[in-house]
Amino acid sequence: MKKRTSRKSPGSKRLQNAEQLWPLRFTLNGRKVQARVKPTQTLLDFVRLELELTGTKGACLEGECGSCYVLVDGRPMNSCLVLAPQVQDRKVLTIEGVSRGDKPDVIQQKFIECGAVQCGYCTPGLIMAAEALLARNPRPTREEFLAGLEGNICRCTGYNTILRALQEAADAMGMKR
Amino acid sequence: MHSAYAGEMWYIATVFFQPKTLAEALQHKADLRQGGIFIAGGTDLVVLMNHGKEAPEHLIDLSHIQSLTEIRPRDGLIELGGNVTFAQCARLPVQCLSQAALSVGGPGIREIGTLAGNLATASPAGDGSTALLALDAELELRTARGMRRLRLTDFFLDYRKTALRPDEMITKVFIPANYQTAWAKAGKRGAVNISVAAAAAALTPERRVRIALASVAPTPIRCNGAEEFLSITGLNRESILRATELVQVEVKPITDHRASADYKVHLSSVLVRRVLERLASL
Repeated sequence: MKKRTSRKSPGSKRLQNAEQLWPLRFTLNGRKVQARVKPTQTLLDFVRLELELTGTKGACLEGECGSCYVLVDGRPMNSCLVLAPQVQDRKVLTIEGVSRGDKPDVIQQKFIECGAVQCGYCTPGLIMAAEALLARNPRPTREEFLAGLEGNICRCTGYNTILRALQEAADAMGMKR
Repeated sequence: MHSAYAGEMWYIATVFFQPKTLAEALQHKADLRQGGIFIAGGTDLVVLMNHGKEAPEHLIDLSHIQSLTEIRPRDGLIELGGNVTFAQCARLPVQCLSQAALSVGGPGIREIGTLAGNLATASPAGDGSTALLALDAELELRTARGMRRLRLTDFFLDYRKTALRPDEMITKVFIPANYQTAWAKAGKRGAVNISVAAAAAALTPERRVRIALASVAPTPIRCNGAEEFLSITGLNRESILRATELVQVEVKPITDHRASADYKVHLSSVLVRRVLERLASL
Protein backbone atom coordinates (compact mmCIF):
# COMPACT_ATOMS: atom_id res chain seq x y z
CA MET A 1 0.00 0.00 0.00
CA LYS A 2 1.26 3.40 -0.91
CA LYS A 3 1.73 6.04 1.71
CA ARG A 4 0.65 9.51 0.75
CA THR A 5 3.50 11.03 -1.21
CA SER A 6 2.74 14.72 -1.58
CA ARG A 7 2.44 16.78 1.58
CA LYS A 8 -0.40 19.24 1.62
CA SER A 9 -0.19 21.96 4.19
CA PRO A 10 -2.17 20.88 7.22
CA GLY A 11 -3.88 24.25 7.14
CA SER A 12 -5.78 23.42 3.95
CA LYS A 13 -8.83 21.89 5.51
CA ARG A 14 -10.53 20.20 2.60
CA LEU A 15 -13.06 17.96 4.25
CA GLN A 16 -16.04 20.17 3.57
CA ASN A 17 -15.13 20.70 -0.06
CA ALA A 18 -18.27 19.65 -1.93
CA GLU A 19 -16.16 18.73 -4.96
CA GLN A 20 -14.86 15.75 -3.06
CA LEU A 21 -18.17 14.36 -1.91
CA TRP A 22 -19.40 11.39 -3.91
CA PRO A 23 -22.89 11.56 -5.48
CA LEU A 24 -24.17 8.24 -4.18
CA ARG A 25 -27.33 6.65 -5.48
CA PHE A 26 -28.50 3.16 -4.61
CA THR A 27 -31.54 1.25 -3.44
CA LEU A 28 -31.90 0.79 0.30
CA ASN A 29 -34.61 -1.49 1.66
CA GLY A 30 -36.56 -1.07 -1.55
CA ARG A 31 -36.32 2.73 -1.72
CA LYS A 32 -34.07 4.83 -3.91
CA VAL A 33 -31.53 6.85 -1.95
CA GLN A 34 -29.46 9.77 -3.21
CA ALA A 35 -26.88 11.49 -1.05
CA ARG A 36 -23.50 13.15 -1.19
CA VAL A 37 -21.06 11.14 0.89
CA LYS A 38 -17.49 11.37 2.02
CA PRO A 39 -15.94 8.67 -0.18
CA THR A 40 -14.02 7.05 2.64
CA GLN A 41 -17.13 6.67 4.78
CA THR A 42 -18.00 3.01 5.23
CA LEU A 43 -21.46 1.76 4.34
CA LEU A 44 -21.88 1.02 8.07
CA ASP A 45 -21.21 4.62 9.08
CA PHE A 46 -23.33 5.95 6.23
CA VAL A 47 -26.48 4.03 7.17
CA ARG A 48 -26.01 4.65 10.91
CA LEU A 49 -24.80 8.25 11.00
CA GLU A 50 -26.30 9.82 7.87
CA LEU A 51 -29.52 7.82 7.47
CA GLU A 52 -29.91 7.14 11.21
CA LEU A 53 -30.70 3.48 10.58
CA THR A 54 -29.01 2.23 13.72
CA GLY A 55 -30.14 -1.40 13.53
CA THR A 56 -26.87 -2.32 11.84
CA LYS A 57 -24.16 -2.49 14.49
CA GLY A 58 -20.44 -1.85 14.40
CA ALA A 59 -18.00 -3.46 16.78
CA CYS A 60 -14.63 -4.67 15.53
CA LEU A 61 -14.47 -2.63 12.27
CA GLU A 62 -12.23 -5.28 10.75
CA GLY A 63 -14.57 -8.06 9.64
CA GLU A 64 -14.10 -10.31 12.66
CA CYS A 65 -17.50 -10.12 14.35
CA GLY A 66 -20.25 -9.90 11.72
CA SER A 67 -22.43 -7.49 13.71
CA CYS A 68 -22.50 -5.13 10.70
CA TYR A 69 -23.81 -7.63 8.12
CA VAL A 70 -26.08 -6.26 5.41
CA LEU A 71 -27.12 -7.80 2.09
CA VAL A 72 -25.79 -6.23 -1.11
CA ASP A 73 -27.60 -7.58 -4.18
CA GLY A 74 -28.67 -10.46 -1.93
CA ARG A 75 -25.17 -11.32 -0.77
CA PRO A 76 -24.05 -10.97 2.85
CA MET A 77 -21.31 -8.39 3.40
CA ASN A 78 -19.57 -6.79 6.36
CA SER A 79 -20.71 -3.19 5.94
CA CYS A 80 -17.69 -1.98 7.97
CA LEU A 81 -15.43 -3.11 5.11
CA VAL A 82 -17.41 -1.63 2.23
CA LEU A 83 -17.03 2.03 1.33
CA ALA A 84 -20.38 3.73 0.77
CA PRO A 85 -19.60 4.66 -2.88
CA GLN A 86 -18.96 1.00 -3.64
CA VAL A 87 -22.70 0.22 -3.41
CA GLN A 88 -23.43 2.67 -6.23
CA ASP A 89 -26.46 1.35 -8.21
CA ARG A 90 -26.66 -1.73 -5.99
CA LYS A 91 -29.53 -2.98 -3.83
CA VAL A 92 -28.80 -2.93 -0.11
CA LEU A 93 -30.95 -4.57 2.55
CA THR A 94 -30.40 -3.73 6.23
CA ILE A 95 -32.16 -5.17 9.26
CA GLU A 96 -34.70 -2.34 9.01
CA GLY A 97 -35.83 -3.70 5.64
CA VAL A 98 -36.40 -7.23 6.88
CA SER A 99 -39.57 -6.76 8.90
CA ARG A 100 -42.84 -5.53 7.40
CA GLY A 101 -43.59 -2.45 9.46
CA ASP A 102 -43.79 -3.61 13.06
CA LYS A 103 -44.35 -7.19 12.02
CA PRO A 104 -41.20 -9.29 12.35
CA ASP A 105 -40.38 -11.74 9.58
CA VAL A 106 -40.18 -15.49 10.23
CA ILE A 107 -36.53 -15.51 11.29
CA GLN A 108 -36.99 -12.54 13.63
CA GLN A 109 -40.13 -14.12 15.12
CA LYS A 110 -38.31 -17.39 15.81
CA PHE A 111 -35.40 -15.52 17.41
CA ILE A 112 -37.92 -14.00 19.84
CA GLU A 113 -39.75 -17.26 20.50
CA CYS A 114 -36.60 -19.31 21.06
CA GLY A 115 -34.88 -16.79 23.30
CA ALA A 116 -32.06 -16.43 20.76
CA VAL A 117 -31.59 -12.79 21.80
CA GLN A 118 -29.86 -11.81 25.01
CA CYS A 119 -27.96 -8.52 24.87
CA GLY A 120 -29.07 -8.26 21.23
CA TYR A 121 -25.98 -6.58 19.81
CA CYS A 122 -25.13 -9.42 17.41
CA THR A 123 -28.75 -10.12 16.51
CA PRO A 124 -29.16 -7.88 13.42
CA GLY A 125 -25.96 -9.27 11.91
CA LEU A 126 -26.97 -12.84 12.65
CA ILE A 127 -30.40 -12.30 11.13
CA MET A 128 -28.90 -10.83 7.96
CA ALA A 129 -26.50 -13.79 7.68
CA ALA A 130 -29.44 -16.14 8.19
CA GLU A 131 -31.57 -14.32 5.60
CA ALA A 132 -28.76 -14.80 3.06
CA LEU A 133 -28.26 -18.44 4.00
CA LEU A 134 -31.94 -19.45 3.89
CA ALA A 135 -32.55 -17.56 0.63
CA ARG A 136 -29.83 -19.64 -1.00
CA ASN A 137 -30.41 -22.91 0.85
CA PRO A 138 -33.90 -23.39 2.36
CA ARG A 139 -33.06 -26.69 4.08
CA PRO A 140 -29.55 -26.36 5.56
CA THR A 141 -27.99 -29.17 7.54
CA ARG A 142 -26.57 -28.37 10.98
CA GLU A 143 -23.11 -28.05 9.36
CA GLU A 144 -24.47 -25.71 6.70
CA PHE A 145 -26.11 -23.57 9.40
CA LEU A 146 -22.79 -23.38 11.25
CA ALA A 147 -20.93 -22.50 8.05
CA GLY A 148 -23.49 -19.83 7.18
CA LEU A 149 -23.06 -18.20 10.60
CA GLU A 150 -19.30 -18.66 10.97
CA GLY A 151 -18.68 -14.96 10.35
CA ASN A 152 -20.86 -13.88 13.29
CA ILE A 153 -19.85 -13.80 16.93
CA CYS A 154 -22.35 -13.92 19.80
CA ARG A 155 -20.93 -13.55 23.30
CA CYS A 156 -24.12 -14.32 25.25
CA THR A 157 -26.15 -17.23 24.00
CA GLY A 158 -23.66 -20.00 23.31
CA TYR A 159 -25.39 -20.27 19.90
CA ASN A 160 -27.71 -23.17 20.75
CA THR A 161 -30.85 -21.03 20.95
CA ILE A 162 -29.79 -19.28 17.73
CA LEU A 163 -29.44 -22.58 15.90
CA ARG A 164 -32.82 -23.73 17.26
CA ALA A 165 -34.45 -20.48 16.11
CA LEU A 166 -32.98 -20.90 12.64
CA GLN A 167 -34.04 -24.53 12.39
CA GLU A 168 -37.58 -23.55 13.37
CA ALA A 169 -37.53 -20.67 10.89
CA ALA A 170 -36.42 -22.99 8.11
CA ASP A 171 -39.18 -25.45 9.06
CA ALA A 172 -41.81 -22.70 9.15
CA MET A 173 -40.68 -21.29 5.81
CA GLY A 174 -40.70 -24.81 4.34
CA MET A 175 -44.29 -25.33 5.46
CA LYS A 176 -45.38 -22.10 3.82
CA ARG A 177 -43.72 -23.08 0.56
CA MET B 1 -2.78 10.34 7.62
CA HIS B 2 -4.60 12.77 9.79
CA SER B 3 -2.75 14.73 12.39
CA ALA B 4 -3.99 16.79 15.29
CA TYR B 5 -3.15 20.48 15.50
CA ALA B 6 -4.00 22.27 18.77
CA GLY B 7 -6.65 19.71 19.53
CA GLU B 8 -8.26 20.03 16.13
CA MET B 9 -8.38 17.28 13.54
CA TRP B 10 -7.18 18.00 10.00
CA TYR B 11 -8.20 15.66 7.27
CA ILE B 12 -6.90 14.93 3.84
CA ALA B 13 -10.06 14.43 1.80
CA THR B 14 -9.90 11.45 -0.48
CA VAL B 15 -10.57 11.83 -4.19
CA PHE B 16 -12.59 8.87 -5.40
CA PHE B 17 -12.82 7.46 -8.91
CA GLN B 18 -15.16 4.69 -9.92
CA PRO B 19 -14.35 3.69 -13.49
CA LYS B 20 -16.65 1.31 -15.37
CA THR B 21 -13.93 -0.01 -17.67
CA LEU B 22 -10.43 -1.38 -17.23
CA ALA B 23 -9.01 1.11 -19.74
CA GLU B 24 -10.36 4.06 -17.71
CA ALA B 25 -8.96 2.64 -14.48
CA LEU B 26 -5.50 2.11 -15.94
CA GLN B 27 -5.50 5.56 -17.55
CA HIS B 28 -6.44 7.13 -14.22
CA LYS B 29 -3.63 5.31 -12.50
CA ALA B 30 -1.19 6.48 -15.16
CA ASP B 31 -2.41 10.08 -14.87
CA LEU B 32 -1.96 10.04 -11.11
CA ARG B 33 1.49 8.52 -11.51
CA GLN B 34 2.05 6.76 -8.20
CA GLY B 35 -0.56 8.67 -6.24
CA GLY B 36 -3.62 6.46 -6.75
CA ILE B 37 -4.45 3.29 -4.90
CA PHE B 38 -6.58 0.62 -6.53
CA ILE B 39 -9.29 -0.66 -4.24
CA ALA B 40 -11.08 -3.86 -5.22
CA GLY B 41 -12.82 -5.55 -2.28
CA GLY B 42 -11.01 -3.38 0.24
CA THR B 43 -11.04 -5.98 3.02
CA ASP B 44 -7.39 -5.19 3.80
CA LEU B 45 -7.31 -1.48 2.96
CA VAL B 46 -10.55 -0.44 4.69
CA VAL B 47 -9.44 -2.12 7.94
CA LEU B 48 -6.34 0.08 7.89
CA MET B 49 -8.48 3.12 7.10
CA ASN B 50 -10.93 2.27 9.91
CA HIS B 51 -8.03 2.13 12.35
CA GLY B 52 -6.49 5.37 11.09
CA LYS B 53 -3.40 3.68 9.69
CA GLU B 54 -4.04 4.58 6.06
CA ALA B 55 -5.60 7.66 4.49
CA PRO B 56 -5.34 7.38 0.72
CA GLU B 57 -5.40 10.61 -1.24
CA HIS B 58 -6.81 9.04 -4.40
CA LEU B 59 -8.79 5.83 -4.54
CA ILE B 60 -9.53 4.09 -7.83
CA ASP B 61 -12.44 1.76 -7.13
CA LEU B 62 -12.42 -1.36 -9.28
CA SER B 63 -15.67 -2.79 -7.90
CA HIS B 64 -17.77 -1.61 -10.84
CA ILE B 65 -15.60 -3.01 -13.63
CA GLN B 66 -17.76 -5.89 -14.81
CA SER B 67 -15.16 -7.49 -17.09
CA LEU B 68 -12.90 -8.21 -14.11
CA THR B 69 -15.46 -10.46 -12.39
CA GLU B 70 -15.42 -13.16 -15.07
CA ILE B 71 -14.23 -16.76 -14.80
CA ARG B 72 -13.50 -18.44 -18.13
CA PRO B 73 -12.00 -21.79 -19.17
CA ARG B 74 -9.36 -21.24 -21.86
CA ASP B 75 -6.83 -23.66 -23.41
CA GLY B 76 -6.84 -26.08 -20.47
CA LEU B 77 -6.50 -23.16 -18.04
CA ILE B 78 -9.05 -21.37 -15.94
CA GLU B 79 -8.87 -17.60 -16.33
CA LEU B 80 -9.94 -15.65 -13.24
CA GLY B 81 -10.57 -11.90 -13.53
CA GLY B 82 -8.99 -9.58 -10.97
CA ASN B 83 -12.33 -8.96 -9.22
CA VAL B 84 -13.13 -12.64 -8.71
CA THR B 85 -14.09 -13.00 -5.04
CA PHE B 86 -13.34 -15.76 -2.56
CA ALA B 87 -17.03 -16.68 -2.72
CA GLN B 88 -16.60 -17.32 -6.46
CA CYS B 89 -13.35 -19.24 -5.87
CA ALA B 90 -15.12 -21.44 -3.33
CA ARG B 91 -17.31 -22.78 -6.15
CA LEU B 92 -14.39 -23.69 -8.48
CA PRO B 93 -13.64 -27.38 -9.16
CA VAL B 94 -10.02 -26.87 -8.01
CA GLN B 95 -9.81 -28.32 -4.52
CA CYS B 96 -6.88 -26.47 -2.99
CA LEU B 97 -8.19 -23.12 -4.20
CA SER B 98 -11.86 -23.70 -3.31
CA GLN B 99 -10.95 -24.96 0.16
CA ALA B 100 -8.45 -22.17 0.72
CA ALA B 101 -11.16 -19.69 -0.33
CA LEU B 102 -13.65 -21.27 2.09
CA SER B 103 -11.11 -20.93 4.90
CA VAL B 104 -10.87 -17.14 4.37
CA GLY B 105 -12.95 -14.99 6.73
CA GLY B 106 -16.68 -15.64 6.95
CA PRO B 107 -19.40 -15.50 4.27
CA GLY B 108 -19.42 -11.69 4.29
CA ILE B 109 -15.68 -11.27 3.77
CA ARG B 110 -15.66 -13.93 1.05
CA GLU B 111 -18.27 -11.96 -0.90
CA ILE B 112 -16.12 -8.81 -0.72
CA GLY B 113 -12.48 -9.90 -0.80
CA THR B 114 -10.82 -10.71 -4.11
CA LEU B 115 -8.15 -13.21 -5.06
CA ALA B 116 -6.09 -10.55 -6.85
CA GLY B 117 -6.31 -8.36 -3.74
CA ASN B 118 -4.97 -11.24 -1.66
CA LEU B 119 -1.98 -11.41 -4.02
CA ALA B 120 -1.38 -7.65 -4.01
CA THR B 121 -1.50 -7.45 -0.22
CA ALA B 122 1.11 -10.22 -0.26
CA SER B 123 0.62 -11.25 3.34
CA PRO B 124 2.78 -14.25 4.23
CA ALA B 125 -0.46 -15.75 5.60
CA GLY B 126 -2.39 -15.27 2.33
CA ASP B 127 -4.45 -18.42 1.89
CA GLY B 128 -5.42 -17.62 -1.69
CA SER B 129 -1.81 -16.76 -2.57
CA THR B 130 -0.60 -20.06 -1.16
CA ALA B 131 -3.13 -22.17 -3.07
CA LEU B 132 -2.23 -20.30 -6.26
CA LEU B 133 1.50 -20.89 -5.68
CA ALA B 134 0.93 -24.66 -5.59
CA LEU B 135 -1.07 -24.34 -8.80
CA ASP B 136 1.81 -22.71 -10.75
CA ALA B 137 -0.53 -19.77 -11.32
CA GLU B 138 0.40 -17.11 -13.81
CA LEU B 139 -0.63 -13.45 -13.64
CA GLU B 140 -1.61 -10.93 -16.25
CA LEU B 141 -0.38 -7.50 -15.18
CA ARG B 142 -1.55 -4.43 -17.06
CA THR B 143 -0.71 -0.76 -17.28
CA ALA B 144 -2.26 1.90 -19.51
CA ARG B 145 0.52 1.19 -22.00
CA GLY B 146 0.91 -2.53 -22.01
CA MET B 147 0.63 -5.98 -20.54
CA ARG B 148 2.97 -8.66 -19.27
CA ARG B 149 2.61 -12.18 -17.95
CA LEU B 150 4.41 -13.19 -14.78
CA ARG B 151 4.67 -16.54 -13.03
CA LEU B 152 3.44 -16.30 -9.45
CA THR B 153 6.69 -17.92 -8.26
CA ASP B 154 8.43 -14.72 -9.44
CA PHE B 155 5.84 -12.40 -7.88
CA PHE B 156 6.53 -12.46 -4.13
CA LEU B 157 9.84 -10.75 -3.41
CA ASP B 158 9.96 -10.15 0.35
CA TYR B 159 7.71 -9.39 3.30
CA ARG B 160 4.70 -7.67 1.68
CA LYS B 161 6.86 -6.79 -1.34
CA THR B 162 5.91 -7.94 -4.81
CA ALA B 163 7.08 -7.56 -8.39
CA LEU B 164 3.98 -5.45 -9.10
CA ARG B 165 5.13 -2.12 -10.54
CA PRO B 166 3.57 1.10 -9.22
CA ASP B 167 1.30 1.60 -12.23
CA GLU B 168 0.34 -2.05 -12.72
CA MET B 169 -2.87 -3.87 -11.93
CA ILE B 170 -3.38 -7.63 -11.54
CA THR B 171 -6.04 -8.10 -14.20
CA LYS B 172 -6.10 -11.89 -14.55
CA VAL B 173 -4.95 -15.02 -12.77
CA PHE B 174 -4.49 -18.21 -14.82
CA ILE B 175 -4.61 -21.62 -13.16
CA PRO B 176 -4.47 -25.13 -14.62
CA ALA B 177 -7.75 -27.06 -14.60
CA ASN B 178 -6.17 -30.52 -14.52
CA TYR B 179 -3.96 -30.56 -11.41
CA GLN B 180 -4.97 -32.84 -8.59
CA THR B 181 -4.77 -30.75 -5.42
CA ALA B 182 -5.22 -30.70 -1.64
CA TRP B 183 -5.38 -28.05 1.12
CA ALA B 184 -4.85 -28.04 4.89
CA LYS B 185 -4.85 -25.13 7.32
CA ALA B 186 -4.31 -24.68 11.03
CA GLY B 187 -5.69 -21.62 12.77
CA LYS B 188 -6.94 -20.58 16.16
CA ARG B 189 -10.63 -21.02 15.49
CA GLY B 190 -12.79 -22.66 12.83
CA ALA B 191 -13.51 -19.51 10.83
CA VAL B 192 -12.47 -15.86 10.38
CA ASN B 193 -9.08 -17.18 10.93
CA ILE B 194 -5.55 -16.21 9.94
CA SER B 195 -3.37 -19.21 9.24
CA VAL B 196 -0.87 -20.19 11.91
CA ALA B 197 0.30 -22.28 8.97
CA ALA B 198 -1.38 -23.64 5.85
CA ALA B 199 -0.29 -26.00 3.10
CA ALA B 200 -1.37 -26.53 -0.49
CA ALA B 201 -0.15 -29.38 -2.67
CA ALA B 202 -0.71 -30.26 -6.31
CA LEU B 203 0.12 -33.14 -8.59
CA THR B 204 0.61 -32.22 -12.25
CA PRO B 205 -0.51 -34.56 -15.06
CA GLU B 206 3.24 -35.39 -15.43
CA ARG B 207 3.16 -36.55 -11.78
CA ARG B 208 5.33 -33.68 -10.57
CA VAL B 209 4.58 -32.49 -7.06
CA ARG B 210 4.05 -28.87 -6.00
CA ILE B 211 4.03 -27.82 -2.33
CA ALA B 212 3.27 -24.33 -1.02
CA LEU B 213 3.11 -23.06 2.56
CA ALA B 214 1.64 -19.99 4.26
CA SER B 215 2.82 -18.15 7.39
CA VAL B 216 6.24 -19.82 7.67
CA ALA B 217 8.44 -17.29 5.82
CA PRO B 218 8.30 -13.58 4.86
CA THR B 219 6.15 -14.54 1.87
CA PRO B 220 4.06 -17.57 0.94
CA ILE B 221 6.67 -20.08 -0.27
CA ARG B 222 7.19 -23.15 -2.42
CA CYS B 223 9.18 -26.06 -0.95
CA ASN B 224 11.52 -26.70 -3.85
CA GLY B 225 13.72 -29.25 -2.09
CA ALA B 226 10.83 -31.48 -1.09
CA GLU B 227 9.26 -31.09 -4.54
CA GLU B 228 12.46 -32.18 -6.31
CA PHE B 229 12.83 -35.14 -4.01
CA LEU B 230 9.25 -36.31 -4.54
CA SER B 231 9.49 -35.91 -8.29
CA ILE B 232 12.25 -38.53 -8.21
CA THR B 233 10.78 -40.91 -5.64
CA GLY B 234 7.08 -40.54 -6.36
CA LEU B 235 4.48 -40.37 -3.58
CA ASN B 236 4.53 -43.19 -1.05
CA ARG B 237 4.53 -43.42 2.73
CA GLU B 238 8.32 -43.33 3.10
CA SER B 239 8.97 -40.60 0.56
CA ILE B 240 6.26 -38.42 2.12
CA LEU B 241 7.86 -38.79 5.56
CA ARG B 242 11.26 -37.86 4.14
CA ALA B 243 9.70 -34.89 2.32
CA THR B 244 8.21 -33.56 5.55
CA GLU B 245 11.73 -33.57 7.02
CA LEU B 246 13.00 -31.59 4.05
CA VAL B 247 10.14 -29.12 4.52
CA GLN B 248 11.24 -28.50 8.12
CA VAL B 249 14.59 -27.25 6.82
CA GLU B 250 13.05 -25.10 4.10
CA VAL B 251 10.64 -23.07 6.22
CA LYS B 252 11.82 -19.93 8.02
CA PRO B 253 9.07 -18.99 10.46
CA ILE B 254 9.27 -16.36 13.17
CA THR B 255 7.84 -16.47 16.65
CA ASP B 256 4.86 -14.13 16.88
CA HIS B 257 1.57 -13.74 18.71
CA ARG B 258 0.09 -16.65 16.78
CA ALA B 259 2.69 -19.31 17.58
CA SER B 260 6.36 -20.00 18.23
CA ALA B 261 8.74 -20.61 15.36
CA ASP B 262 9.35 -24.17 16.61
CA TYR B 263 5.67 -24.93 16.60
CA LYS B 264 5.25 -23.57 13.07
CA VAL B 265 8.12 -25.77 11.85
CA HIS B 266 6.37 -28.77 13.37
CA LEU B 267 3.02 -27.69 11.96
CA SER B 268 4.51 -27.30 8.48
CA SER B 269 5.57 -30.92 8.35
CA VAL B 270 2.23 -32.14 9.74
CA LEU B 271 0.22 -30.11 7.22
CA VAL B 272 2.47 -31.13 4.33
CA ARG B 273 2.11 -34.79 5.32
CA ARG B 274 -1.68 -34.39 5.33
CA VAL B 275 -1.93 -32.80 1.90
CA LEU B 276 0.53 -35.24 0.33
CA GLU B 277 -1.24 -38.26 1.81
CA ARG B 278 -4.47 -36.94 0.36
CA LEU B 279 -2.84 -36.53 -3.06
CA ALA B 280 -1.50 -40.07 -2.88
CA SER B 281 -4.88 -41.33 -1.56
CA LEU B 282 -3.04 -42.92 1.38
